[in-house]
Amino acid sequence: MTSEEYTTSAVLVKGKTEFPVSVRYSTRYSLLVRFENDSFSDNDTKFDNLIVIISGESIPLGPCQLIHQKEVDDNIGYLISSEDIVDFGDLIFKHRKSILQSGFVNLPFILEQKEKIKQEFKDYTADLTYCLSVYRHLFDGMDEDYRDEPEDVKKSIQQAIIAKEGADFIRYFETRLQELERLVKGYTQVEHEQHGFYFRRQVWSFILASALLRRTNLKPRGYSGDSEMMRMIYKNEELGDSTFSKLMHKHPIEHPAAEAVRNRRKLIAETLAQQRKSDHIPADEQLKVLSVACGPAFELNNLLKSKADCERYEFTLFDQDPLALDEAVQLVAQIEKQLDATIKVEYVQASVRTMMTTRRLIKKLGNFDFIYSMGLFDYLTPPVAAAVFRNLYQLLQPGGELIIGNFHVSSTSRVYMEYWNDWVLYYRLEEDLLELVKGLSPAEQSVVFEDTRSQMFLSVRKPIT
Amino acid sequence: MGNTLKISIQPEWDQLESVRVQAHTFLEDNGLMANLIHSLVMVVSELMENSIKYGNFSSPDNRVEVSLGFYKNSVTVEVSNPVNEDSMSDLEELDRMIQWIRGYQNPFEAYIERLKEISKKPLHDKASGLGIVRIAYEGGVTLDFFVSEEGLLTVSAIRKV
Repeated sequence: MTSEEYTTSAVLVKGKTEFPVSVRYSTRYSLLVRFENDSFSDNDTKFDNLIVIISGESIPLGPCQLIHQKEVDDNIGYLISSEDIVDFGDLIFKHRKSILQSGFVNLPFILEQKEKIKQEFKDYTADLTYCLSVYRHLFDGMDEDYRDEPEDVKKSIQQAIIAKEGADFIRYFETRLQELERLVKGYTQVEHEQHGFYFRRQVWSFILASALLRRTNLKPRGYSGDSEMMRMIYKNEELGDSTFSKLMHKHPIEHPAAEAVRNRRKLIAETLAQQRKSDHIPADEQLKVLSVACGPAFELNNLLKSKADCERYEFTLFDQDPLALDEAVQLVAQIEKQLDATIKVEYVQASVRTMMTTRRLIKKLGNFDFIYSMGLFDYLTPPVAAAVFRNLYQLLQPGGELIIGNFHVSSTSRVYMEYWNDWVLYYRLEEDLLELVKGLSPAEQSVVFEDTRSQMFLSVRKPIT
Repeated sequence: MGNTLKISIQPEWDQLESVRVQAHTFLEDNGLMANLIHSLVMVVSELMENSIKYGNFSSPDNRVEVSLGFYKNSVTVEVSNPVNEDSMSDLEELDRMIQWIRGYQNPFEAYIERLKEISKKPLHDKASGLGIVRIAYEGGVTLDFFVSEEGLLTVSAIRKV
């Protein structure tokens, strides 16, 4: 049913008088109302109660105000709540009573959080927000000064500012970040959580200025590290509608953790290319590859450079997020078009946590020569990581290789990711990764790092016999 | 896994208290502070209640398995029960919920978001979804779960100590 089609009956109450009306969804916070007769006067603009009938049930919504639309019709107007502001979209289409001010139910809990914050942290945050405000004010002022210039002139001026004052700002920001790391070193997990929450409330306007930070904090798909965040990291562009926004986006996107994400994409493509040349795979057979938590599978761009490359592999791309899989479908189509080739791909939408059905699904596709998962184990706790790893290992062909990535506990971006990005990973040591192999007896096992040493990769090869 | 307590019970409500007592004693014997013991016993209790409530105990052999273990600087609580294919949509919801909670650095933030959400009253009663958020926030634990190919759901809760 569309909003235009939805009409229901209602009653407006004023004192002891009841006005029967029909109401129609107009906007999220207003209803179009039609009075059924001429029983009201022009003075009747405030009502004590609006009772809407939905599925035979009377829903009282409290006081409301009428805005007449006499130029349209004498009996027509808009109704808007005048105390608890009712979300009519939620009411009519989701059948729940939502109040605009509902966030205020948490106000006392949120305010009392500040009592748990150390004074030195409060001082740091207050000083930082002042300095960032000053920087923003200056950058915005410059943007305003050259706003009316032609586009190419504006772009050139902005690049000059980014190169000089922007670089100074990035250095300043980096220094303050290192200061934050020193300040919170030694905090307990609970203290990190409390101080991170307080911090983000203070720097929220700066977070919203950055496309990446905005997305990592708001998590529109309900989880961290979605394919759009990955796309931003891979693209490594200056995004934003102001110089300050561009800088606030570019800084996290160039930090070692983001660099590590770009590095792993190249690393996995190189490893896959080498894998093809291994002795145990006959030259005329396709290499069966499973990518777990594949996201948009951008690494295929690095791997598939020719029609012959496309013919060498048979991919299964596995992800929980249908939107990420859609992006992978588009990427594969794009590569096929560019190379005039056909790529054999199966797409599996499922969660690694529910292997009860997932493994059965994958089993239909047979075992794999190469399985990789670059950005999944950072989100799995030890018991779940162990179970998922065992399952993936079992899906390997004899002689096949399994590679998983995980950020290392010493990642220099950790505090930045947790405090600014609200992006929490399960960081591990080399020994934690090797713990996953226990009881599996692989023919080979190793842990290697990418260039920034933020992320490590565990590789295991199944014995041939 | 270092020092571990394993308990296997029938899926019956009157078993809860005995497990709570055993968990309390185990954590106390391992030198944990009273407030931490209190939080972790609450976690054990809530996970067991969910297990009894939502598990598939169609065979008399089906049981709820509880384990508590110390590993490095953390305590891991695990509660397992059988599930069947009919539970898939609930498990998908659990998956979404756990990832959503863990998307926040501070589970308090998930807790207040959930409180705000449930203040939007459904016209007809529905589950609030507050329970699992409360476990994460009040228990101070990182939640996760896994369903084995054989259909055994294991929910784990890890608390740094």
